[in-house]
Amino acid sequence: METLLFNLIWVIPLLTVLACIPIPSTCERALRAVHTASVSFVLLIVCVLTYRVFALGAAPADPASTPFALRFFTDIPWLSAFNAHYIVGADGLNMLLLALTAFIVWAGVLVSYKIKGNQKVFFALIQLLATSVYGVYMSFDLVLFFVFYEMEALCMYLMIACYGSGRRDYGGKKLTLTLAFGSSMILATLFGLYFESGTGSWSLMEISKVTLPMDFQMWAFPLMFMGFAVSSSLFPFHFWSPDGHSAAPTAVSMLAAGVMMKMGAYGCLRFAMFLMPEAAKIWLPYVVALLIFNVVLGPFIAIRHKDLKYITAYSSISHLGLIFLGLAALTPVGLRGASLQMISHGFLTGLFFATIGMIYERTHTRDITEMGGIMKKMPFLGVGFVIAGFAGLGLPGFSGFIAESTIFIGAFQQDSTLTRIVTVLAILSITTTAVYILQTANRMLHGPMPAKFQTLTDGCFREKLVIVVLVFCLLLIGIFPGPFADMLDLSIAPIFNRF
Amino acid sequence: MSIPNFIIPDLLLLLFPFIVIGSRLFCDAKSNVPWRIANIGFLLIFMLLNFIPLAGGEGRFFICNWRVDDFGVFMREVLVVSAILGMWFSKDYFMHAAAGKPQMHQIAEFIGAIAFATFGGVTVVSACDTITFFLGLEIATIPMYALTAWNKRDQLGSEAATKYILMGSVATAFELFGFSYLYGFAGSLHFDAIQSAVAAGTSPLLWIAVLFLFCGIGFKLTLFPFYTWAPDVYEGAPTPVTAVLSVTSKATAIAFLVVLVYGPLAPVQEQIAPLIALLAGVTLFVGNLGALKQYRLRRFMAYSSIAQAGYIMVALLGTAAMAKTAIIYYLFVYAVSNYLAFFVFGIIGHHREEIFDSLRGLSKQNPSLAIALAISMFSLAGIPPLAGFFGKFHLFFSGATTGHYMLIAFAVLNNVLALFYYLQLVKSAWVDEPDGHLNPLRLTRRQRGVIILLSCAVVVLGFLPFLSDNIFMGFSGF
Repeated sequence: METLLFNLIWVIPLLTVLACIPIPSTCERALRAVHTASVSFVLLIVCVLTYRVFALGAAPADPASTPFALRFFTDIPWLSAFNAHYIVGADGLNMLLLALTAFIVWAGVLVSYKIKGNQKVFFALIQLLATSVYGVYMSFDLVLFFVFYEMEALCMYLMIACYGSGRRDYGGKKLTLTLAFGSSMILATLFGLYFESGTGSWSLMEISKVTLPMDFQMWAFPLMFMGFAVSSSLFPFHFWSPDGHSAAPTAVSMLAAGVMMKMGAYGCLRFAMFLMPEAAKIWLPYVVALLIFNVVLGPFIAIRHKDLKYITAYSSISHLGLIFLGLAALTPVGLRGASLQMISHGFLTGLFFATIGMIYERTHTRDITEMGGIMKKMPFLGVGFVIAGFAGLGLPGFSGFIAESTIFIGAFQQDSTLTRIVTVLAILSITTTAVYILQTANRMLHGPMPAKFQTLTDGCFREKLVIVVLVFCLLLIGIFPGPFADMLDLSIAPIFNRF
Repeated sequence: MSIPNFIIPDLLLLLFPFIVIGSRLFCDAKSNVPWRIANIGFLLIFMLLNFIPLAGGEGRFFICNWRVDDFGVFMREVLVVSAILGMWFSKDYFMHAAAGKPQMHQIAEFIGAIAFATFGGVTVVSACDTITFFLGLEIATIPMYALTAWNKRDQLGSEAATKYILMGSVATAFELFGFSYLYGFAGSLHFDAIQSAVAAGTSPLLWIAVLFLFCGIGFKLTLFPFYTWAPDVYEGAPTPVTAVLSVTSKATAIAFLVVLVYGPLAPVQEQIAPLIALLAGVTLFVGNLGALKQYRLRRFMAYSSIAQAGYIMVALLGTAAMAKTAIIYYLFVYAVSNYLAFFVFGIIGHHREEIFDSLRGLSKQNPSLAIALAISMFSLAGIPPLAGFFGKFHLFFSGATTGHYMLIAFAVLNNVLALFYYLQLVKSAWVDEPDGHLNPLRLTRRQRGVIILLSCAVVVLGFLPFLSDNIFMGFSGF
């Protein structure tokens, strides 16, 4: 029963799309109702299943899924021409990421009620995007994983180019093509993994049973790691993200920054580092060197930007840099911090882009120099933005503090001067983060209000609900990190044991 | 297994064009009878092909010069599917032909020519000796010359046909030259004898033959550096002919290579692998590069199909069973995606000029056409979960069986380039604002039906495993 529910997570969005085909695109209310019901139902399923995974704890799992202890494990032969299987399962790490996705998709649908253009196609694309993200986190077969991973490109371009703002075609193309570049690197290594491992299987569990030849690992690991890192905007492949995010409609920015950019980091951990641990040990110090840009320079660039979405995009780049710092630390604490940061940053950036989208819907500008006094007219949205900002600079009580401090402790434990230097720089860069967040909040929310903003209204119930739920999630992880950390530790152990 | 049954579809395919063309003698100019006969005939042949048991063996007829094996049966199915789609398409073309263009009653000859080309393709996959093989290739090509020049008053069409005939004749000369050297090397025309001669030892004579054969087929398959005729011919020919040209001709040419590489030349496959890899890599790069700056729909599709030819070549590096599975599967999905694209272009061509700007605002005015166009473009670009991705995955998998990772990495990177220009086209249809000067598009119920059918096929053939599994089972002898 639970296994069936688990598999339904990615099927329901597709079924919703099919169910909406007969509804004419003029019936927008009906379309929104169907999609909201569908995403709420998925959210419910995911929450129940996440609790089940937590409750099962370290209980023994299906032996076929070793070295992972996967719940709801399903393995069905799929394409016999190259022995691809449909393998899905859940451990703490991907279950929490699925929960994050479900929350962000739910919020994304709720904030898109007033999107201009053909809503039928827009919601269908959101559901397809949701399918692809759910599929990525669920699958443990390389072919299945790649199919879901690459599927996003199909939806992303259309959503950004048709429903975005500003330089939408440019932003959409830049994002889609850069991500496609990353996935082409991954695809090339997948063939290598299949044939070099000699297992005749695409299953993550099967391939991990053999030690891959070292000369193969030495070229395949950087290719695969960087391929994934493209979607997590690791320097030098970060350039797509500011343009892409700023052109995208609110819901797409939320999904792209909140969950899609985590797919890259997740892939680095679950696929690249897990399958090729020997090469990872050699190559990861170089990744640490690249991080100096992400973590240290990212916030400085954000200071100089005037566009709210650009600021948030560069803030995301620096936060995602911290995930890689945790991964590259190669200590259990670092890996735990990295995975906590994936989840925490998802909620954080979701909240950021949601409030920005709501404010933009009213002011029709994202330029902070043109704004002012928003707090007077939109106190709720303003407070939501400030909370997101504080969570972003790592205020204790919010999830960001827990995740980042865990990463710093983990990274400092590693006996390497470079990592320690980068860690110290990263800790110092929190000050820079504070600068741009306080500066933005100050300029936007306080001070004199332009006359044209006099008629603006605060968020409606739907928008307030989104903000409250996302803030609640941030606080929940921030105040009770224990259960989350336990779930993550259990699922990180099999990966760390390979080192 | 009773041997004569095997050959019934082939005999039907041979008789069939004569019946279709002959039927015109007995009915008046506006009659729909030839078209109905063609429909029933092709569907019947397709059904009969599905009843041929695949057991990994092969049947030989006519003094061992005609064989029916697994690859042949699947190729027949690809060719017949292509012919059926081409036939539906030509009906659409003749229904909408404006004044001064060919009228409905000529459809019998049109379909007859397509059927001849199909039979030519069947001959290529059935041949066991170089003469039959060569004849098949010519039977497949000559009707295409006639079809290209169908609108005799159309300047572009006549230019295209002239170019095609001249280039095609040169290619034919190359092939004949290659075959004569092959005969000189092996002392026999029969493939089995040539294969054993090649296995016994090589000589420069063989390499000259191989080089000439590859040059000859390079013309037909639009490989670098012999691809230059394709954009002009694709643009000049009537739209259904372009579609048939891009699928049937290409399928025939690639079947020719498969028969050659895994038949007589199988013992030296490893030695000619660098040549194949080079042709594949350069062709797909050049095709992708050429497509970047196109703004006319059919020139664009010409370059796109040049690139696709390069991708197909990657599969020829693999082991026999895997390469054949990959190529057959890819040809199926390529046929469906390509016909879908051309069908949409054809509808646009009835009302507007065939350039990118004619697509403006399509998503707002005709959402179903815009969705179909996006599906076909993303499928050709190889984006999952559409069929095109799985097709390319098969091709790359086949190439990877022999460890050509560098070529695969190159091909996969080229996919990003390809995605760029396919996105350009999707952008015209989805992002650009409608242009009031464009003629409105009207879809008939039949057109809508074909588009929905093909779109569903492109979506479903990919992730539902029945097609690829059936093909794979056929080759691994389950």
